[in-house]
Amino acid sequence: MESLLQHLERFSELLAVSRTTHVSPWDPATVRRALQWARYLRHVHSRFGRHVRIRTALERRLQKRWRQEGTSGSFPVPGLTNFQALGRCDLLLSLRLLENRALGDAAYHYLLQQLFPGPGVPDADEETLQGSLVRLARRRSAVHMLRFTGYGENSVLEDSVLKTQAELLLQRLREVPKAEGEGPSRFLSALWDRLPQNNFLKVIAAALLLPPSSPRPQGEELELGTPKTPGQGGQELVRWLLAKSDVMAAFCHNLPVGLLTSVAGRHPELSRAYLGLLTDWGRHLRYDLEKGTWVGAESQHASWEELYGRFQSLCQAPPPLKDEVLTALESCKAQDGDFQVPGLSIWTDLLLALGRGS
Amino acid sequence: MQKLSVWDQASTLETQQDTCLHLPRFQEFLRQVYEVLKEMDSNTIIERFPTIGQLLAKTCWNPFILAFDESQKILIWCLCCLINKEPQNSEESKLNSWTRGLLSHILSAFRFDTKEVGLFTQGLGFAPADYCPGLLKNMVLSLVSELRENHLNGFNTQRRMVPEKIRFLSRVCIPLVTLPDIEPLVEALLIYHGHEPQEVLWPEFFDAVNEAFLLKKISLPISAVVCLWLRHLPSLEKATLHLFDKLISSQRNFLRRIECFLKDSLLPEAACHPAIFRIVDEMFRYALLETDGAPEVLAAIQVFTRCFVEALEKKNKQLKFTFKTYFPYASPSLVMMLLQHPKEIPQELWHQPLKHISEMLREMVEDQTHGSYGGPFECWFLFVHFGGWADIAAEQLVMSEAEPPEALLWLLAFSYSPRDRSLQRAQTMTEVKAVLGHLKKLFRSPTLSAKDLQAAAAESQARDPRPPLCQKLIRRLILNFLLWAPGGHVIAREVITLMAPTDELTHEMTGLLDQTLYRWDHLCMEAPKSRKLARELLEELCLAGTAC
Repeated sequence: MESLLQHLERFSELLAVSRTTHVSPWDPATVRRALQWARYLRHVHSRFGRHVRIRTALERRLQKRWRQEGTSGSFPVPGLTNFQALGRCDLLLSLRLLENRALGDAAYHYLLQQLFPGPGVPDADEETLQGSLVRLARRRSAVHMLRFTGYGENSVLEDSVLKTQAELLLQRLREVPKAEGEGPSRFLSALWDRLPQNNFLKVIAAALLLPPSSPRPQGEELELGTPKTPGQGGQELVRWLLAKSDVMAAFCHNLPVGLLTSVAGRHPELSRAYLGLLTDWGRHLRYDLEKGTWVGAESQHASWEELYGRFQSLCQAPPPLKDEVLTALESCKAQDGDFQVPGLSIWTDLLLALGRGS
Repeated sequence: MQKLSVWDQASTLETQQDTCLHLPRFQEFLRQVYEVLKEMDSNTIIERFPTIGQLLAKTCWNPFILAFDESQKILIWCLCCLINKEPQNSEESKLNSWTRGLLSHILSAFRFDTKEVGLFTQGLGFAPADYCPGLLKNMVLSLVSELRENHLNGFNTQRRMVPEKIRFLSRVCIPLVTLPDIEPLVEALLIYHGHEPQEVLWPEFFDAVNEAFLLKKISLPISAVVCLWLRHLPSLEKATLHLFDKLISSQRNFLRRIECFLKDSLLPEAACHPAIFRIVDEMFRYALLETDGAPEVLAAIQVFTRCFVEALEKKNKQLKFTFKTYFPYASPSLVMMLLQHPKEIPQELWHQPLKHISEMLREMVEDQTHGSYGGPFECWFLFVHFGGWADIAAEQLVMSEAEPPEALLWLLAFSYSPRDRSLQRAQTMTEVKAVLGHLKKLFRSPTLSAKDLQAAAAESQARDPRPPLCQKLIRRLILNFLLWAPGGHVIAREVITLMAPTDELTHEMTGLLDQTLYRWDHLCMEAPKSRKLARELLEELCLAGTAC
């Protein structure tokens, strides 16, 4: 067991190195050894896939290592992040070496010979490395060719990219060990700090809207030993959002109105928080007698249009969300004094504008 | 090769649609290129084919070629040939560098993510190789749901796909047809009905899908295949011809195998749609005429009809289309008669439907004024679909103790020799009746010998020699006799050797035995001794001759 873990460590290092200029002194023999190691680990993956103890041990070691890499300042290029990745480690290694210009000619030539032996090998077996590489190339050109079809300019691609990112996020969330109670939250917070936030918000929304059946891990069947239920990833996200008010604020502020309504419709806890936020925004607006509209006291406050736009969208949602929203508005209006005349309470005005004022 | 090189350079410069037309040939060309290149080293290649670099580079940048079948693989092989293990000078180094760039491009080209997305995926620990399959799957799903929405809601949907976009999509799918990830999209396109009067999909798309389907490189549900064949007639014709090739090959195909081929081809199931049935039937008719009634074609028609009827019954208990739509030239009552399952009628009563069928056919054939039923050939062609009845008639005649009914004699004579005039047919019937008479006497004889049988079947010297088809019929009756008579198994081999001295006749015998066993299986007939004998004989004949 220990030797296996060591082997894993050494290979992870190797994988990290394979992207750098450190490969320039490599000769064909080194390449051969590297490929052999990869093949060995792949064999480990297929042999011990169902062996829970070994699998867990390997996975734990990999995750620990990955997180270590992750917390160090700059952005490392990830290597093996979980047990599943072992099934593709030879593919990962090969791709990195192929793209590495620093690899010497002789070593590169040897690599090509190993990876692409030519027509002699029966390629019907999908497991061969040649088959995987070639299939990847084919899939990439497929993505490229399909991108310009569909409704709107690039929307097939954009939506799919978002959805794919969402699936990846949920997959990682599933893997974060629950033993350390705060695991998922810390993980998400770390991501929030490091990654481009606008994109992250969109991905979260997409993840929250994924169909309740489990988004499958990339390219492989749902494996044994994943006791977590599918919807749990989504639950973690919601929990985290509710806990982090700054993220929640950004979420509600930056995303398109219709998207927010959809998310609120799906997740009742979020709809409550969303409504809370909106009422908060509402309270910051003052009526400007001269202009005849509601304005924010400071520039960062939401405007009347933004507030109205969101409420309008929410009122077009199916019940129970719609009813919830209207009830909330009514009660705010009542709290304010139940004015019927415009200009006194923002809630009255909103209801009037929405056509629900009585 | 130089000439080809020039031609293909031009073709890669052309627009996408022309590229699509040439994709399979280009792949072959690439294969040939590789065969040549692999024998040489890098420097020789550049000397001999200075333009090879340009050719390969242009190919690398063409996504259609990279997406097609195995072209990307062969291209990679070609490029590998250009890599120099130990470059001696800067020229060679540059070539290496350039080639590596191309290889890199093939494997990691077409960036489809923005910088933000790249950071996100990296931050989660995924490389493009990890999520590319998932991305493709999501794109396909998205397109499929758009197509479905379009299909269901037509003008009401906000996300409406314009016909041009759908046509574009079909063109883009042509090279991708054999990629399993694309199957749902191909299916959705086939099933999609626009609201435009003309066909919106590219014809080459149908061709490509059909080819892939026939070569089993794509698996489609029957509904999609039916759509394909209904929308694109050449595909249906090609599929039927492909089937014919398999069925009517030089080696003998046993009926069981024919049934497998047929079911595999999905044609019987698809034929539940009358338009498809009519076209396939037409092609069978043509084949029959061309081969002048070859027994392989007859067998194929029979098995096809059986599979077709089976599929039809499975589909819906109440038929969507009446039988008239499938057999427009036939009398409906005759069709209903023929469609009856002998299994559902007790064996003792089989002579009843046989008699009815015979009478109906006879009426149609002999009555010259009944033009609407197409004449003798059409009647015979219809009957041939349900050839099992003739086999049953032949068996009944031998097995029953009674006087052979006129109707059955006529039926058999007609089925073997439809072109006879009434006089000839009457003669045949008389001959057969005579032979049957002899056979009946011998049926329960305890001391049966081959000579006896020979005598029974002998032609009378007085009359004209029997026409070949009549001889064939008599051989059949003798075979049935051997299988059913209590003393038959003793003399069977001897008789057969006498009856079938040539390869051709042995071929005929094996065909009859195979047909008989096949029929008994489907009728669930209990006949252990006869079955055993038939099976043994079949095996022996197969081993002995070149008939199998």
